[in-house]
Amino acid sequence: MLRFVVRRLLAAAPTLFISGAAVFFLIRLIPGDPAALLLGDQADAASLADLHRRLGLDQGLPTQFSLWFQRMLHGDLGQSIRTGEPVLSLVIDHFVVSARIVFVAVALAAAIAVPAGMLAAWRQNGKLDIGLVSAATVLLSIPSFWLGLMLLYLFGLELGWLPVIGYVDFSEDPVAALTYMVLPVATLVLHETGILIRMARASTLEVLRLDYITYARSKGLSEGAVLWRHAFRNAFGPTWTLIGLVLGNLLGGIAVVETVFTIPGLGRLLVDSIFGRDYPVIQGCLLFVAFVYVLINLVVDLLYPLFDPRVAEA
Amino acid sequence: MKHLHGATLIAVLLTGATATAAFAATRIVVALPADIRSSMPGTNRDDNTDSVILNVVEGLVGYGEGGDVKPLLARSVETSADGLTYTFRLRSDVRFHNGDKLSSADVLWSWNRYMDPKTEWRCLAEFDGRNDLKVLKVEAPDASTVVMRINRRSALFLDTLARTDCGMTGILSKASVKADGTWDRPIGTGPFEFSDWKRGRGITLSRFAGYKSPEGSKPDGYVGLKTPGVDVVQLQVIPDPATVKLGMASKSVDIAQLLSSDVVEVKNDPALVTSAESDSSKHALLFQTRDPLMADAKFRRAVAAALDYKQLVDVASDGLSKPNNSAVFERSVYADATQRKGFKTDLTQAKALLKESSYRGQTIKLIANKRSPMPSFQVALVTQAMLQAIGIKVEIEVLEWATQLDRYNAGNYQMMSFSYSGRLDPALSYEQFTGDKARQARKVWDNPEAIALIETARTVSDKAERQKIFDRLHEMALADVPLINLYNGLTVWSRGKRVGGFSPWEGKLRLWTARVGA
Amino acid sequence: MKLRKMNAAIGGTILGAIALAAGIGLFWTPFDPVTLGYAKRLAAPDAVHWLGTDEFGRDVLSRLMTAAATSARISVLTVATAVLLGTLVGVLSGYLRGWTDRVLMAFNDALLAFPGILLALGFLAVAGANEYGIVVALGIAYAPSVARIVRGTVMSLREMDYIAASRLMGNSEFFIVWRHVLPNCVAPLVVLATSMFGWALLAESALSFLGLGVPPPAPTWGNMLAGSRPFIAKAVWLAIFPGACISLTLLGINLLGDALRDRLDPRMRNT
Repeated sequence: MLRFVVRRLLAAAPTLFISGAAVFFLIRLIPGDPAALLLGDQADAASLADLHRRLGLDQGLPTQFSLWFQRMLHGDLGQSIRTGEPVLSLVIDHFVVSARIVFVAVALAAAIAVPAGMLAAWRQNGKLDIGLVSAATVLLSIPSFWLGLMLLYLFGLELGWLPVIGYVDFSEDPVAALTYMVLPVATLVLHETGILIRMARASTLEVLRLDYITYARSKGLSEGAVLWRHAFRNAFGPTWTLIGLVLGNLLGGIAVVETVFTIPGLGRLLVDSIFGRDYPVIQGCLLFVAFVYVLINLVVDLLYPLFDPRVAEA
Repeated sequence: MKHLHGATLIAVLLTGATATAAFAATRIVVALPADIRSSMPGTNRDDNTDSVILNVVEGLVGYGEGGDVKPLLARSVETSADGLTYTFRLRSDVRFHNGDKLSSADVLWSWNRYMDPKTEWRCLAEFDGRNDLKVLKVEAPDASTVVMRINRRSALFLDTLARTDCGMTGILSKASVKADGTWDRPIGTGPFEFSDWKRGRGITLSRFAGYKSPEGSKPDGYVGLKTPGVDVVQLQVIPDPATVKLGMASKSVDIAQLLSSDVVEVKNDPALVTSAESDSSKHALLFQTRDPLMADAKFRRAVAAALDYKQLVDVASDGLSKPNNSAVFERSVYADATQRKGFKTDLTQAKALLKESSYRGQTIKLIANKRSPMPSFQVALVTQAMLQAIGIKVEIEVLEWATQLDRYNAGNYQMMSFSYSGRLDPALSYEQFTGDKARQARKVWDNPEAIALIETARTVSDKAERQKIFDRLHEMALADVPLINLYNGLTVWSRGKRVGGFSPWEGKLRLWTARVGA
Repeated sequence: MKLRKMNAAIGGTILGAIALAAGIGLFWTPFDPVTLGYAKRLAAPDAVHWLGTDEFGRDVLSRLMTAAATSARISVLTVATAVLLGTLVGVLSGYLRGWTDRVLMAFNDALLAFPGILLALGFLAVAGANEYGIVVALGIAYAPSVARIVRGTVMSLREMDYIAASRLMGNSEFFIVWRHVLPNCVAPLVVLATSMFGWALLAESALSFLGLGVPPPAPTWGNMLAGSRPFIAKAVWLAIFPGACISLTLLGINLLGDALRDRLDPRMRNT
């Protein structure tokens, strides 16, 4: 098993390297000088030169790249150009914020979607099924940032039930932190449930059609047992893969939700860094996201056999 | 006798009441558009950082309302006859936040720290000779005197010391630095202490009980009356303007900066007080005179005559600002009658000039950005419409700020809707856009006479002489039209009714002016 | 199936209505969508301005109609770009195998490892935010998905007898690809293209939301939604209508996509 993990991680290495290098050179192609941005329109040549030297921007690109790469291998992702904070801790802090919301949302969405999808499949073409599928389709058609905006308006402004500004970390005040999480998580849950219900339903349908289900039924097993013991585990497989995809996508695309709810997460960090030409942070974020994506895929693949014993580990 | 008893009773009750009230700390929440970059004055900073830190530290001198430099930690400043020696006599009643008395040793220590390249002081190049001026020697002949010697006469030495982006050259206590020499937190002499900083979240400032205000009966820039009015200021980082508005509406934020477009709706909110403060920043339309069409003075004059400044400024600033075609900001001590002269709107004249110019119907690119709260885009939109009216075709190219700044620095544009950050001294204001294009591509006005005049204004300290120079420069600019200064920027502030007296200056938070309940 | 017909019907109706509005919007709108109207700013929906006006006094309905055309154009061009690029890569990779395949797929996966929006962000910051930049950026972001599908189809077809027969007959490889391989890719591609159209629409809106979308004054649903945020407390209609348009269009696409999937590719059915 360990060999499998290590092999997968090694296989991902070239991808990560290509991504890292591509990002490094691409963002430096972007017009805009981070030092000039810091000094604004009051930059005089001497101060600009000082800043370039301090940020290491005065050396040639290949030199900068090899420096960055060497440091990265030692776990040092450099410092933010804008704030001077170490990039790695900055990225991890922001990642934790995003991850909390994303993982909670996906877990909730799965908890709702899988039973709902199975139910819909079980009652195929019945009123419940059609209702659930229609609801799912509608939910996944609504852009998450618009949904978030509308929820914020309704619950935050009109009704005043939930806070609208800022963000409180769990380490400071767990109860308050929960209230700040409700709306963003709700937004994501609604959207992802739509996607997951359809997949859960489809895979359940596939399985229910199979011979061994008929066999199990003829053996006298109750419907519940049939659904749970046989259908669930096998149907969950593709859904589980989809969950992995969804997680990966969310971690990447969460910038919009973070913007709506002013959450200091990874997405927002990336967007702000791009606007601020904060090269080390941009690189750090993108690499981190790619790495997490690889990890998620790895975990998904590792746990797949739990749901589908037919899939052997090579 | 009965009256006396009654009066005593009431007096006792009142004292008791105020005593109880004193125990309840007054607290206000202020929204910050971004986190501060660092807590070191003048180092790794931006305007937002200065806005916070300048409540904590103070310099030997500071700006007054009209951009004139006045003593702050110094009681008085004497200049020698040759203009090369400055003697600062320190006030005797000033204490640091940790209780230590201010002495010349502290000034020396702070100065040497700033001049150490490792500190990376924003204004190092202004004093080490690379930008002409060099501080040769700084001495402390006694505990309450500091003497500085510079290498050449300058009208701007004190101004540069007072500059907000230099952190006002804030005097710090040695205790700001840890035993191993690394930075801890700013221990200054300002009205507020730097109590806490949660990165990305916010900063807490607490009233400095032992603060002694410089002379003055009312606030005057960064001098004047500075006694703090509230006990705790919670500065909360809220980058999103929409969220700030929600915060004000839900009363979780007491003071916030708003967009000028918000004033219309916020004005009618009975729970909020809105104010607009103009500052020394400038919104302008730039011409790149290296471009063949823009080089044509008749074309530039045609553009200048085609714009209805009142309406343009009205729309761009949501009715809050007035046009100002001068590089001298309207509240400056140098803003006299000549400075108030501006471009005349005359469509007939504009059309005539256009005909005589080399314009042949081509489309001109006008660069703008949508970086809030800058009005760059609004200005561009209205300009486009107005120029269209006399037959000039304009296409607006919206760029991201970083890219626009790049193009500005390289001089790579035809026309640009740009905002200059505030420069209080008119010589510095003119210098922002005047200079030799061959050496600095971002300069807009490449006029040798103007360059020479500005150089004189930098050296000569006599107010009357400088006023004559600035008047001449303004008249030249009106005739030559190298750029069109439209209006001075402003910042719009909103506060809940429970906060009184708050008065920002130059877009920066003067937290000592805020009072609760007043 | 009854459900499929219903999906197609509803989806088609929604999309048809929006396409009609967009089509009309190309030639005529009730008011000029870009001229500033200083007089009536932030007006609520009324008899004159059916959907209200925005902060510059521009009629919201007119802007929505113009935006429909712009958003549609961007999405279509993005899908076209992605399909062209992806098919090229997929065919080369699947047909030639060997090192070409390995190298191409390594880059392909590297791109796939990045969620589309991030790629687009980076690319746009370089190229500048305008229609073409967005189309290229998103096209490149979605091409890997196309490449994978095309490659899969090509690989499975390669070994088939009729390909070998065709080759024996003297047909060039190019002809074989054109005549035999590509037509078989159409079905799964159509299904994917339908989804991509939705992704592109969503991505353009999200990019505008973040500040990197199509620059003003040209309206897109995304930048209208983004511009509505400062006024949400007093003019919430500015946020409701663009978002509703995006949602409706996506709903139509999804319903139609479902119906198409049922018809063209039973392997990917959801019903």
